[in-house]
Amino acid sequence: MARRLLHLAFAAGMILPVCAQDMPALDLYTRVDKGHCIACHQLPAGTGPATRSDLGPALTGARMRELGRARVRDVLRDPTAANPATVMPPYGRHRILEAREIERLSEFLLALP
Amino acid sequence: MRCPDLRLALAAWLCAPALAIGAAEQVRTELAARFQKDLPALPASDYILGGAAFDPALRARLDENANAAQTSGVLEAGRKLFSRKFKNGRSLASCFPNGGKRVAGAYPQYDSRLKRVVTLETAINQCLKANAEPLYDLDDPATLGAVAAYLRSLSDGQKVAVRVPAAAEERFDQGRRLYDSRMGQQNWACASCHVQGAGKRYADIPLSPAIGQGAIATAIRDGKAVTLQARMRECLERMGVAPFAAGSDELNNLEYYLTYLSNGLVMRPNAWRPAR
Repeated sequence: MARRLLHLAFAAGMILPVCAQDMPALDLYTRVDKGHCIACHQLPAGTGPATRSDLGPALTGARMRELGRARVRDVLRDPTAANPATVMPPYGRHRILEAREIERLSEFLLALP
Repeated sequence: MRCPDLRLALAAWLCAPALAIGAAEQVRTELAARFQKDLPALPASDYILGGAAFDPALRARLDENANAAQTSGVLEAGRKLFSRKFKNGRSLASCFPNGGKRVAGAYPQYDSRLKRVVTLETAINQCLKANAEPLYDLDDPATLGAVAAYLRSLSDGQKVAVRVPAAAEERFDQGRRLYDSRMGQQNWACASCHVQGAGKRYADIPLSPAIGQGAIATAIRDGKAVTLQARMRECLERMGVAPFAAGSDELNNLEYYLTYLSNGLVMRPNAWRPAR
């Protein structure tokens, strides 16, 4: 029994750091130390905290799907590549978000109503 | 052949200050024209309201707190420090013409001897230094912030009238370039929010236009006097930039540029601003 508990604790120790990296996409969207997308964009009602922020355009799933997965990911990585005048931070190029976080945020945006 | 050259050189020398003033003024008028185009419903006199110009609820709070500088005790604290006698019998009031009345609108100034931009805060510390008194911490709202707030209150209702002589044009331009340069992790310039994004909301708060920020200079927040450079430093941190030191040439030049943009606006120093 004790040995089984030890194995469990060891497995948890291995897994927990991985879990810690898998921050929910909404947190990536809202947290100041992550995307903090909420500071500039509004989400469709009911999909996240309501805000009046409008430095960037309101985000809708239809617009994201129109752009497509690759383009959404590219914009998150470095929006200045397509639009040098944008005020959106280059999340990938400036290492604000990791590649897997950009991936998860892309999925979140594509799944918006 | 030599006479026309001399005349030309003399004419160029005589015209140089006017050209320099013209260059800075051209930058200001172009930006004013942009704001008039981008924000047609907003009268230029309302630029000094900052973000509250775009938010009736915030504007109502601004009106409710119109006397924040007095009720917070900032002005009284500043007045005491301003009139405090130095060991040599003089005081800060003795360093400024007219006892400090109606002088703040002309700051920042270019000091041709030092070849540097001098802000009102720097001038206060220069006075302390000249009188062998300990200097105030440029980041301290309780001392330098309060004195600057009091000194600016003596110019309430005056117009911002910053001069950019020929010799200072480079400083003005350094300030302009810094304002327009993208920096830090977020890749923002000051202009990203306060020119490009003026009137839009960031984190639910309307962004103030670049013109008008210098007419406030010291703001009252949480009952404390917060200098323009302290607010610039907060912005730089938000941009993911290690902020320049208060009183550095970078921030002095930035304040010089930013305040010049407000030339002609009526000063409303020590306006209340919401807590962050």
